[in-house]
Parts: sequence; C-alpha cells; structure tokens
Amino acid sequence: MRSAREAATTDGPPQAQPNNGVPLLEMVGIVKRYGPTLALNGVDLAVRAGEIHALLGENGAGKSTLMHVLSGLTHADAGEIRLWGHPVRIPSPRAARALGIAMVHQHFTLAPAFTVAENLALDSARGPGSGLPLGTFAAREAAAPALERAAALGWQLDPDARIADLSVGTQQRVEIVKALATQARLLIFDEPTAVLSGDEVEELFQVLRRLREEGHAVILIAHKLAEILAVADTVTVLRRGNRVASCPVAETDARQLATWMIGVSPDSPHPLSPSSGGPHPPAPFPTRSSLAREGRDPTWDDCGPHPRPLSRSVGEGRDLTPAPSPSQGEGRRQAGSPPSLIGRGAGGLGATPGKGAGGLGQTQAKEAEEPGAAAAFAARDILVRGDRGEVAIRGLSLEVARGEILGIGGVDGNGQTELAEALIGLRPIEAGTLSWEGGPFRAGVSPTTGYIPQDRRRVGLAVGMTVEDNLLFEAVRAPQFRRGPFLRRKALQRLASDLIRAFDVRTPSRTLPVSALSGGNQQKVVVARALHANPHWIVAVNPTRGLDIGATRFVHEQLRQARARGAAIVLISTDLDEIAALADRAAILSGGRLHPYQVSEVDQTQLGLLLGGLGAEQAAPPDKPSAAGETA
Amino acid sequence: MSVRSETPGVPEIPAPLAGQPPGETTPPAWPLRALRALAQGLGYAAGLLALMSLTFLALRINPITALMALWEGAFGNASSGHLYPLSETLVKTSPLLLTGLGIVVAWRAGLFSIGAEGQLLMGALSAAALARFASSLPGPLLTLLMILAAMAAGALWGAIAGWLRVRRNVQEVISTIMLNYIALALVGWMVRGPLQERARISPQSEPVPDAALFARIIPPAWSGGIPTRLHSGVLLAFLAAIVVYLYLYYTAAGFGLRVVGQNPEAARAARFPVPKLRMQAMAISGALCGLAGGVELLGIAIRLYDNFSPGWGYTAIPVALLGGLHPLGTVLSALFFGALTAGSGNLERFSGVPSVVINIIQAAAVLAVVGVRAWRARRAGSAED
Repeated sequence: MRSAREAATTDGPPQAQPNNGVPLLEMVGIVKRYGPTLALNGVDLAVRAGEIHALLGENGAGKSTLMHVLSGLTHADAGEIRLWGHPVRIPSPRAARALGIAMVHQHFTLAPAFTVAENLALDSARGPGSGLPLGTFAAREAAAPALERAAALGWQLDPDARIADLSVGTQQRVEIVKALATQARLLIFDEPTAVLSGDEVEELFQVLRRLREEGHAVILIAHKLAEILAVADTVTVLRRGNRVASCPVAETDARQLATWMIGVSPDSPHPLSPSSGGPHPPAPFPTRSSLAREGRDPTWDDCGPHPRPLSRSVGEGRDLTPAPSPSQGEGRRQAGSPPSLIGRGAGGLGATPGKGAGGLGQTQAKEAEEPGAAAAFAARDILVRGDRGEVAIRGLSLEVARGEILGIGGVDGNGQTELAEALIGLRPIEAGTLSWEGGPFRAGVSPTTGYIPQDRRRVGLAVGMTVEDNLLFEAVRAPQFRRGPFLRRKALQRLASDLIRAFDVRTPSRTLPVSALSGGNQQKVVVARALHANPHWIVAVNPTRGLDIGATRFVHEQLRQARARGAAIVLISTDLDEIAALADRAAILSGGRLHPYQVSEVDQTQLGLLLGGLGAEQAAPPDKPSAAGETA
Repeated sequence: MSVRSETPGVPEIPAPLAGQPPGETTPPAWPLRALRALAQGLGYAAGLLALMSLTFLALRINPITALMALWEGAFGNASSGHLYPLSETLVKTSPLLLTGLGIVVAWRAGLFSIGAEGQLLMGALSAAALARFASSLPGPLLTLLMILAAMAAGALWGAIAGWLRVRRNVQEVISTIMLNYIALALVGWMVRGPLQERARISPQSEPVPDAALFARIIPPAWSGGIPTRLHSGVLLAFLAAIVVYLYLYYTAAGFGLRVVGQNPEAARAARFPVPKLRMQAMAISGALCGLAGGVELLGIAIRLYDNFSPGWGYTAIPVALLGGLHPLGTVLSALFFGALTAGSGNLERFSGVPSVVINIIQAAAVLAVVGVRAWRARRAGSAED
C-alpha cells in the first residue's frame, strides 16, 4: 500500500489502517453521460475490505462504464469517489494504479509475443519506464516479486513461456498476478469466468476467496447468478444506468437477483431449472432468502424489490429457466434417453466411434455404428492441424443427424476452433473423411453451411464496416443478389433491413459501423448472417459467450428453431449449462478427442475428469457400459 | 487478448443507442446525407485554409498575398480569365489521382503498398517500349495498345508483390519499395540502352509518334491564345475514379476486398477467397499506377527519361490518406495537391516564397486531417463502452 498511501497524501490525510467503519471504496452519485443518454444515473457503490462485491447487470446496464470511471479510463460527469473515506480523483489508469486499484480485464492486456516474465516486468517497479538506465532491465529479476506472488497462490508460472503459447486460463493467471504485483488493494475482475471452464472457475473462486482473506476488496463483474451466489459476499445490481439494489448475497436468491437485473420476475415454477435438468451445476442454487431476514443489516436499506419494475418480456434463458418450448422439451427427453430414433449405436451416444482409443478398434466401432439413413453429417477419423502445424484433432469421428444438436464441451484450447473449422471445410483435414448424407462433403455448397465463430470481434465481424455490410457477407455472393459483376444494392439493402428486424438487432441505422453496437447486438448480426439462409449444417462455437440473458436466450432460440427446421447442428461451447440446455447428445473435447457423456446422468467427478483431460476410460463410471464399451 | 486497454470487457450498449427504439433502420435520406457531406467538406476546406494561413504566418509570409498568388496560379483570376492555370492544375492532378486511386485499392484491401512509383515507371516504360517497336501502327490503335501495355506492366509489378505476400508472406511494404528501385534502375538502363533515342545523345527515349499522343482539349482561342497542356488522358483519370468507386462499393469483388482489408480473419471465416482478393487488389492497384505512367507519357512527357516521375507514386500516399482512402475523396485531395503544385510557381514568382513551402503545407495538411480523423475515431470508440 506504499503507493496508495503516497497518492492519498495528495488529497488528504493518509489512512493507513483500514478503518472498520469506513468502506475501502465508496462511489457516490456517479453520473456519466454519453451524448443524450445517461450511462450512469447517480450510481452509488460501497465496497469494504475483505469483501467480494459482485456487480450484476445486463450488457448496457452500466457496469463497464462504472468500472471505467473507477479505473481512470473515463471520467464521471458528476459524483465522488472515496477511498477509506477520503475523496480522490482518478484522472488516469496510472492514477488508479497508484491508488491501489487494479483491473483484471476480460480481454487480457498481455503482449502475446513476450514471455511471462517480460509481461510481468512491464508493470514492475524495476521494469522499463522506471527510470533505470537502458540496458539494466532484466525481465526475470524485475518479474521476481510477481512470480513469488504467483507461487504463493500455488501457481507455477513458467517465466520463459511465451504468452501466446499459454492457455486462456493460464493467461488469466498472469493477468491476475500482474494486477496483484502492483500492490493493489482493490481488484476489479471483469467477467473473469467468461473465458474459463468449470474447473478453472472453481480455482478462480478459490483465489478470489484467498484475496478476500488477505484483506483485499474484490469487485466481480458478472452475468451468471450461480457464480455470484457461490462466491460473492455482496451484490449490487445495475439496470440501465441505475442502481437497482445493493444487498448481502445471503439475503437474496437467484430469482430475486434475476428480477432486479431484468426488471420482471421470471414467471416460472422452476427458477433456474437448468441446474435441475442439466448436469452442471449439480445442486440447485442455494436459496438463501430462507436465511433469517431479521438478521438484516440495516444499512442495506435498498435490499428489496425495485420500486419501478420495467416491463420486459421474459421467456426462457440459461440463467433463468429453459421454458417449455416444444423443441426444448424434446431435446431434453432425447438427452435423457438413448436417442434411438436416430439410429445410433448401442450406447446411444454415437457421437464418436473411436474416441479415446487412439484409432485402435475403430473398425468395429464404425461397423457397430453404421448409422443407416439417419446421420446427415459424418466425420471419420479426421486429423486436423492447428496454425502452428501441431496436431490439434487426432482421429476424431462424429455424426450428426438432421434435427439434432450435438453439444461438444471442453476447456478452451483443446482444438475447438480447429475442429469447428474442419467440420465446415474451412480448414483442410489431413486424414479421414467428411461426408454429407452419404455423399461427398463439398465445403459451403453441399451442405449449405452456417458458421458462428468463436470470437465475434476477431473472426465474426469486420468491425470497421457497417451493420449492413456485416450482415451481407454471404449474400453478396448469392446469384440472386448479383447482376453480372454488380451487386443488386436495393435488394441487398432490403435483405439487411429484414434481417435487422427479424433478428432484433438494435441499431438506429443499418449504415452505422457495427463496432458501435453492444456485444449482444453484434452477436445477433453474426447469428443472422449465419442462419438466415436456413443452412442445413450449422457449427456454432461459444455462440453466447459474454452475452446477457436476453441475447443468450435469443441465440438459443435461433439454434432451436434451426434444429426444428431440420438442420444438423454442432454446438461447441465451454459452457456446460449451455450444452445441457440445447444439446441432444453431448461429448467433451479433450486433447483433440471426443468423450461422450449423458447430459442428464453425468456425474460431476466424471465430467471434471473429462474436462481435466483424462480419457473416458478413467472417467467413465463402471455403471456406464456404453461409454466404457466404446472405448475398450 | 487485446492489448488495447481502452475497451476492456464486453462493450455495453453504446450510450447514443441505448434509448433508441429497435427496428429504426432507415438511414437518412440522400439530400440530408449530401448536405452533411457538404458541410463536412466545407469544414475540412476551412481547416485547410486556416492551416495554410498559419504555415505562411509561421514563415513570416503575408498569408493573404500568398494565398491569392496560389489561387491565381492554380485557377486563374477573373480579370485575365484564361484557362491556363486551371488546365495546369488538372494536368498536375491526373498522375496524383491515378496513383492515389492505386493506393486506395491496395490499402483498402489491407495491403500497405508503397509501390505506386515503381508501377508507374513500369507502365511508362512498357508504353515507351511499345511506341518504339510498334511505331508503324495507326495512331489511335497505338494509343490504345500503349495504355493497355502500361496498365498490364503496372499490374504485373503489383502482382509480384501480391504473389510474394500471398505465397511467401513477404510484407508488401518491403517488397514494393524494393520493386520501386528495380523499376527505377530498369528505366535508367533502358533509356541508355535499348530504348535510347536514335541520336544517342541524351539518356531518353524516342518521342512517342505524334499521331498516338493524347489530344489537347482546350482550343487556344478559349484561353487567350495561350496553348494549354490539358489532354484527354486527364479525363481517363477522373473516369478511373468513378470505376474504382463502382468497383469498391457496387461489386461483389470490391465488397470482398473491403472485408479482407478490414478483417482478413473474418473474410476467411466467411469463405471469401482471401489470397485471390489480395492478388486482385495488388494487380488493380498496379494497373492504375501503370496507367498513370502511360497517361503522363502520352499526354505530357512524350519521352521516357531518368526522373520521369518527380515522386508521384510517393505523393500518392498522402493524397490517398487525405482523401480518406475513398476514391471520390481522393479526387478532391488530388485536386488540392494538383492546385498547390500548379500554384506554387506563381507563388514563387510573385511573392518570392520558395515553392518548397508547398511541400510543408501538403505534409501539414495530411498530418492534420489524419490526426483529426484518428481523434474522432478514438472519441467514437471510447463513447462506445
């Protein structure tokens, strides 16, 4: 806290010791205006030391703006920020750091070409920019304190590993260590779990709890109610720039939070029923409202329902309830029972012959699984290389029928992108075959293909182009929109307008740069483009990552409708809830291979092992003859 | 894993949009857009004028007399009324416009070609070679063939860099600069060797046959008896601007090219043929620059010689940048550069201001405009989150 104290002296008497009565951070009446719109309308936030404070709200609620104000990235038009009760000014990110405020960004701020040590050294006191003469900069030494901090958290970070070569989870650890190394007392985590798998999330939560015990204040920006209930002490809910509620987590429950967040009670007999139907999380959310209400802290006077609920239609959603749409119900039933109606093999899982067996015994498996007419898409023993020439997918086989969603879960970096690209013919397969309805697979032509890539900003969109242009990537090459070499602009404009309406893309104009849209609306553009031509074959990778409930629900509904139309769909997702909500059959992609599991029956240990990269033979419990048999 | 720290997290609904009702998708009607564009253009013009005045003031030159001298040099004045200054402006504009368009096409495809100069020289060289070895052809046919040869040679020079990028991942910034040197040296050798004039005195080629040269457009009677150099090739330059505009915004290939330039990863995921589009962009860019060389040879220079180009291919980059990498913007920006060049002689003659001041103005204008655009983009970007 040396630096924080120094900075504080400029504004008032230093407050070295945490004063029990005074919160570490108070933001009072923060107002931020962008043009005609209030992004923040007098928001208050109080965070105590030794507290994990969740900040909940949909995209556009103002969470990011509030945190940008706190971290000096943008300036409030009105309001006051106090640290330990003393007003401070935060004109820049540098000032925020000097005050002991650090942010762990969702999009990491690491230099991919540099090593772990070099990245850590960049922020260190002995790094470049510290006034030391040129040539005296030694990354390893400068990074040493940070690496020790990492070791204290139980993380073995290889200081010489290049960031680009590390998994996303490990990169996040580097990012966290970097933040801790600045002596920060207040740590802001911007949707840290969005990039993590189940296991990594739990590890992250351990770290957050550890930081709390050490007396840090942690602000956790989150979408997922389950995570907030699992780890946070206090929660502040924002909606459309207003603070809706601040509450100890113990005094609320998921349903209440959802109500505050979206403004209307999800009208469902089974709040959060993905947990009851799906495999993950295993237990229903703890309903902590049952805890004694009389023990309420009187300071949480706004711990109650929002006085002016904004009306808003709420259907089904991952974090709320997968309401009983017909296709959904059907999907669940299929998930629970062997999907005999599509003629898979004995195990009913048929996702892969030959998974885990490393190419041995696949002949039998193949024969046993010869699907007959049902499977529309089939990949056999495909081998796919990654961008650096490494084998990413080795001897993988899978089949998907029309009107079926095959869910593929797994931790990032297990070949998801390579698999997705191979499945749609975008990336060459080095061995094996792809086929469509028994005939040859011709990329993008037979079958017609819709692709929702993993990273909408990097791969899905040309962010500098207009909403209209981004909607028309496919259409401009369709014969009906061409006249010789020229485009039929009128028809294309009409199509773009229709898509904007049909897919509910919220934009004031189709000629606005797509970068001006919110993440959810950007994703709607990607989804509209991929699905509007009713493709027969759809591959979606993390289609709802980082989206709010409304947008997530929308994307899920689009996929269900595509399934109802008879499309064959592969859904690759790191979010097992999503797979549970949508998939008819499911498997874990791990180490470039597929390990099938029953969406309805899988137990956590098994899933954890699968995610952790252990094969199906270790993961399959003995009472699962199907999975065990196939891998034998 | 962005290294940009300005936009952490998922962008929330941008503030200006948050209150908008959905489905509001009609862009403003064209008169409104035209008016807005006009206002923006006037804003830039006023800014450039202020910038020029400041430059003159900084150099202790009376900005009013200097600007008047520049204006008269570039556009003539009411009292004399002859068309010579304006025609000179257009003559100076045409090579800058064509090479500027070449830069627009390449840069819009995300290829930062510096190769306009070399492509221009190759265009002029091949046209001159054709004139030398096919001089017996009838005039109009020779003109046509020379123009095609110039475009083909420029396209080839561009395509080499394109091929190196697509197949060997050689950065076009490097390869195009290298190809410029090769073209320059090739011209130097040719005008001393195979293409040298028959008299073998100067390092220059035989003149292009008169019958093949571009016609002079303005009858001397219209310009007070003073012969002007405005030739029909200048029209080609303006025509090319329209063609490039249609290509970029009204064809599927141009659409794909812009997607590749904006985000090659997205283009690949959407199955645009990225390598093909890159090759195409470099070839078209080269063809435009080669055309500039051919037009200059047929309209003004008549012969090929050392220093055939006073650096048009390099000036093309600021021209394209000032034009916002848009073909129609590049027309205005090339006219601005052309007018400054044409007016600078007058400035020097009548105000005693060295004409290199023009270079300062050009550079300052580009920096200012690019800076303003970057600042506005940044502001728009930060308002986003």
